[in-house]
Amino acid sequence: MEIIMSVVAGILFAAGIYNILQKQLLRIVIGTVILSNGAHLFIITMGKLKRGAPPVLEYGITEYADPLPQALVLTSIVISFGLTSLLLVLSYRAAQENETDNMEKLRGNHDE
Amino acid sequence: MLFAVLIPLIITLSIPFLSKFKGKIHPGVFVFFVPLGIFIYFVRYVGEGFSPVLESNPWIPSMNIFMDFYLDGLSLLFVLLISGIGALVTLYSIFYLHKSEKLAHFYVYLLMFMTAMLGVVLSDNIYVLYSFWELTSISSFLLIGFWNHREGSRYGAMKSMLITVFGGLSMLGGFILLHVITGTSSIQAMIADTDAILGSAYLPLILGLLLLGAFTKSAQFPFHIWLPDAMEAPTPVSAYLHSATMVKAGIFLVARFSPIFTGYQWFFIIVSGIGILTLCWASYMAVRQTDLKGILAFSTISQLGMIMAMLGFGTKAAVFAAVFHILNHATFKGSLFMIAGIIDHETGSRDIRKLGGLMTLMPISMTLALFGTFSMAGVPLPFLNGFYSKELFFENALDIGDTTLWIATMMKQVIPYLAVFGSIFTFVYSMYLFFGTFTGGQKLEELPKKPHEAPIGMLAAPIILVGGVIIIGLFPNLFNESFLAHAAEAISGEEVHKHIAFWHGLSPAFFMSLTVVALGTLLFVFRERWWKIYQTIPGSLSFNKVYNRLLSGLDVYSANLTNSYMNGSLRRYTALIISTIFLVTTTVMIGTGGFTWKTDDLAAITYPELLVGVLVSVAAIATIFAKDNVAAIIILGVAGYGQALLFVFYRAPDLALTQLAVETITVALLLLCFYHLPQLRTRTEGLGIKLTNGIIAIAFGSMMALIGISAHSSKWFSVISDYFLETSHDLGGGDNVVNVILVDMRGLDTLFEITVLGIAAFSIYTLIKLRRSKEGE
Amino acid sequence: MMSNLAVLPIIIPLIAGILLAFIHKKTILARNTAKLLSILNTGVAAYIFYYVYQNGTVTLETGGWEAPYGIVLVADLLAITLVLTTNIIGLACVFYAQHSLAEKKESFYFYSFFFLLITGVSGAFLTGDLFNLFVFFEVLLMASYALITLGGEKVQLRESIKYVLVNLFSSIVFVTTIAFLYSVLGTVNMAQMAERVQEVEQRGILTTIGILLFFVFGTKAALFPLYYWLPKPYTVPNPVISALFAALLTKVGVYSIIRMFTLVFVHQTSLTHDLFIWIAGFTLVFGVIGALSTDNIKLIIAYNIMPAVGFMIMGIGIYNQTAISGSVYYLVHDMIIKAALFLLVGAISYLAGTSDLRKMRGLINQYPLLGWLLFISAFVLAGVPPFSGFIGKLLILQGSFAEGEIIIAIIGLLSSLLILYSLMKIFVRGFWGEKDETIIVNKKAANAFTWPIAFLIFFSVLLGVGAELFYPVVEDISNDLLNPEIYIDSVFKE
Repeated sequence: MEIIMSVVAGILFAAGIYNILQKQLLRIVIGTVILSNGAHLFIITMGKLKRGAPPVLEYGITEYADPLPQALVLTSIVISFGLTSLLLVLSYRAAQENETDNMEKLRGNHDE
Repeated sequence: MLFAVLIPLIITLSIPFLSKFKGKIHPGVFVFFVPLGIFIYFVRYVGEGFSPVLESNPWIPSMNIFMDFYLDGLSLLFVLLISGIGALVTLYSIFYLHKSEKLAHFYVYLLMFMTAMLGVVLSDNIYVLYSFWELTSISSFLLIGFWNHREGSRYGAMKSMLITVFGGLSMLGGFILLHVITGTSSIQAMIADTDAILGSAYLPLILGLLLLGAFTKSAQFPFHIWLPDAMEAPTPVSAYLHSATMVKAGIFLVARFSPIFTGYQWFFIIVSGIGILTLCWASYMAVRQTDLKGILAFSTISQLGMIMAMLGFGTKAAVFAAVFHILNHATFKGSLFMIAGIIDHETGSRDIRKLGGLMTLMPISMTLALFGTFSMAGVPLPFLNGFYSKELFFENALDIGDTTLWIATMMKQVIPYLAVFGSIFTFVYSMYLFFGTFTGGQKLEELPKKPHEAPIGMLAAPIILVGGVIIIGLFPNLFNESFLAHAAEAISGEEVHKHIAFWHGLSPAFFMSLTVVALGTLLFVFRERWWKIYQTIPGSLSFNKVYNRLLSGLDVYSANLTNSYMNGSLRRYTALIISTIFLVTTTVMIGTGGFTWKTDDLAAITYPELLVGVLVSVAAIATIFAKDNVAAIIILGVAGYGQALLFVFYRAPDLALTQLAVETITVALLLLCFYHLPQLRTRTEGLGIKLTNGIIAIAFGSMMALIGISAHSSKWFSVISDYFLETSHDLGGGDNVVNVILVDMRGLDTLFEITVLGIAAFSIYTLIKLRRSKEGE
Repeated sequence: MMSNLAVLPIIIPLIAGILLAFIHKKTILARNTAKLLSILNTGVAAYIFYYVYQNGTVTLETGGWEAPYGIVLVADLLAITLVLTTNIIGLACVFYAQHSLAEKKESFYFYSFFFLLITGVSGAFLTGDLFNLFVFFEVLLMASYALITLGGEKVQLRESIKYVLVNLFSSIVFVTTIAFLYSVLGTVNMAQMAERVQEVEQRGILTTIGILLFFVFGTKAALFPLYYWLPKPYTVPNPVISALFAALLTKVGVYSIIRMFTLVFVHQTSLTHDLFIWIAGFTLVFGVIGALSTDNIKLIIAYNIMPAVGFMIMGIGIYNQTAISGSVYYLVHDMIIKAALFLLVGAISYLAGTSDLRKMRGLINQYPLLGWLLFISAFVLAGVPPFSGFIGKLLILQGSFAEGEIIIAIIGLLSSLLILYSLMKIFVRGFWGEKDETIIVNKKAANAFTWPIAFLIFFSVLLGVGAELFYPVVEDISNDLLNPEIYIDSVFKE
């Protein structure tokens, strides 16, 4: 299953990157969200899947899932959320100020 | 000696203060005593019983950088030139530069230069030498740019700096190699370890790098181009830096390292070859100049070439002749520069085509110039020092020593002829300089000022220098034993004794001198007839053009190249970055056999997970193909919720909850944003771009998947999480291990994760609010 | 040595950042508080530096959880040296800020963001845990996003997006890489990683993951060919902000490369470190070419970030003690001089009313002091003795010649020339020439700008002329770096 999940995460990366390479700002933002999802899936997968119960200690259970990747993903999700929100507002403002959401039109010239 | 070297630099600090007196006393008067004092301090060392002195001062001892000063015959010669000419030039400048000029700047630069130049010739440590070397370039840059409101001045300053700093950096490269090979940074210690250097595989490189330094500084062909443009500097500077001292730093460097390289034939080939070439080319070109200082600049280049050539010959006699000529050149060229300055000052022009017939108006200047030019030409008269050095040059050109390499042997045959060729043109431009300026018809109406003789103060310095010309001419052996022999000894490493005589029989050298005078006179008299030759050689060919092209090419091509890839397109940037990472990382993975595949420790595959996995993948891909923006956002939500479901499968309830919440808010935000920007449209790309994007995306995604699989197949160690499971209850006080990790074991992460959120919140607030308030204004 | 000292350089600016968020509306109070706190923080950093230099590495196991399980902070000599340098730069920037920023921006949390940036940077230097490094990266990046967009000008927003996106991407790859490493090594503690990598001799997939990590840091450090995102966005925000970015952000990337590739991934140097030399060479060349390509003085300086990074990576690639000492020396030097230069060109374009070199001339008549500061910084940056750039460059070159890496050394020498040229262009064309009568001297602003710049340049000169004072420190650092056990022992002992 880990191999399949690695492939799924890889697909998320690919889809995310494709979106990032688009010119429309909204798509780029979507791309970053997908990319973070891919990263989180990788983290969880790298900690071995489905080995034991959720890491909430209970009597009688000795096998638990690896708690550390879960903690890392939690931290990372929150951070990604902050980033996405900022990026979103930034894109919104940039699109508004520059009157376009086409990144190819937001090149600027070399000498300004 | 440390103090003597640094005193000019220390004095600079007082210059701004001194210039307060500017109204009453010219600050040059104070400055004058600095080089004079240094001269008196060092002149004590002159004498037959002189032996080298080493003074050690630490600077950065742990990096082998010591402020060690080594005073031997060679450095003594230079120190006295620097301080002696320095004093005379300062004296001259008092009359040359008006009080309305930025004198404080001028003297600060000049004193800075003195320290730098003294440092160059006295340093025994290569790095200290290099430091002072660059300081000479810097002060020269500032002095050339003294009148920086002139375009030519800025151009000349930049040019001289680029070329000499280029040389300096090459030299530094050579120095570092020497240091690496010998393990010492002291020049004297290197000389003691010559075998190690000569045996090194890097020897050609070292020699090449050092000589680049020397040739650029001493304006050797083809790096000579900076010197004529350096003439934009005030004339005292030209006389001092660009004739007597700084340009001789390259000569000094070659002389300093001669003991190491003399046995190496390529040293002879390159140094003499370039020296002779410089001599010929520059003396030939000097005749074409119309600016007095231009003639003198090319003359200086050619004379430097001659000295360089003699150092390359490497014999004891040649080295002595080189040293002798260093002294002689300083006397006659220094005086000629000052005369040129006087003419400029009194007539307002340095254009030889406008000058002429000044003999009657400026008789003293004329007399001084007569001695200077005739000495430079090597006219055989017993009171002109130039003749002696020219004779010695011819003698040595005929007696180069043994050679084995064929190029060296061939050069031995050619050099005497080239020596005569160069000297003939030296003769011609000397005559041209003198007669063109002082004889012939007066063209006073073309001159900006009405010419008259300069004040005596201005004439004092050239008079002293011409005095030197005559004294050395009359008593050519005056300084031999007490002074010059020590210098020659320092270069050749052996004791040198030489007696110079005016008449020494009908030697080949004498006939060469006669040829020079005879042919030179002919060429000078009939110059109108052959001047057309300059239209063919060099014609429009010029090394200046090469430099200008190079520089503007640098600007243009760098701009073209940079603009070609820095085009501001985000897609381009990310595509390039991602492709690079993909290419290199994949290569490394293949190269190191990184890919591993192990299936013995995997979780079982179950259909619900598989289904959700496929759903997530399909949703992610579908965002690409969704034509409609809202649809894309919704599909993104689906992928996110699917991911939350996966977290549930994988025993991560906290994650699942967080993911749900975050995904919901993200989708809501995206929709909100979309709502506020209704003009958003779907944009389609060309097929080519789509294809490249697709390839890049698939490539990178596969790479990540493969690394992930390999990483999962290489679980070589037990994970630290086991510890968390064991201690969470007892030490952490909680049963939800993930929570305990977050708030306790990795509490720092959480603290700063919140910080990140906080900053994001404030930033978003600012992004929205700062605009609002701006609009309110 | 275990001590709470290690956390102070992170906690003080964090508290400062929070505190200043509350008083952001009272601009004058905020400004002065910021100055005071900045001085305090610099003082504390200096004290810790001294303490570490005397007593050796200070570590702190946060929350009392022993390494490798909890997050450990490791104030070794390298980390604390960089923290101190960071604070010195911060100090100069705080004093420069009030004259450079419009009051509006100042009151919009500038000082909060500033201190949080310092928090992130210091944290990144001090942490001994890879995931925690990621978190601190996010702190400093988030603060930098906040700062780069501060003001919300059209151009600024446009360039910020590029900046944010590239960094976001590299962060995502970063966190994924951590996951890979965790899978292979079962840990996120850097010292333990080092031990474990050594145990398996960096076999199999490890080098690949290492290279991926290198690219993550290389993107932040602006290495060839990953730097496209850097030059332009660095010219759009206020000079203080650009200065902070140039001095700190890329250098955190360089630091991370130094850390990971002297501590963890050191068993395949013939592959990894040789690759660095190549990349360093291209970074040097393309960087200087970029610097020559423009007449925008801010852009000239921004492009000059790359060759400097190239030098540092070259030192790491060569990987002997001399070269690594050189890289570290160069790192400290470059942080200071880049900050000074960005402040300087900021001041110049503010006072001249343009950052286009074609529209400037003769400024030396109005602003002689700034002109001379620029003149000196040009030589500092090009590595002319006796300034700080020379020492680092010399060590790196010595190291590379000693290893027989001739070509890269010659590239290094030549690029120094072009660096000098790119800066002297500003001096010759902007400051020399006929006086521009249209420029009215703004003495007050000029003075206010001059002091912080002079303060930084003073350190540059001191680092060069007084190299004897600092070189032993750097030698200790490179010794630590070449002997990873020292770091590992300091984490696991006690």
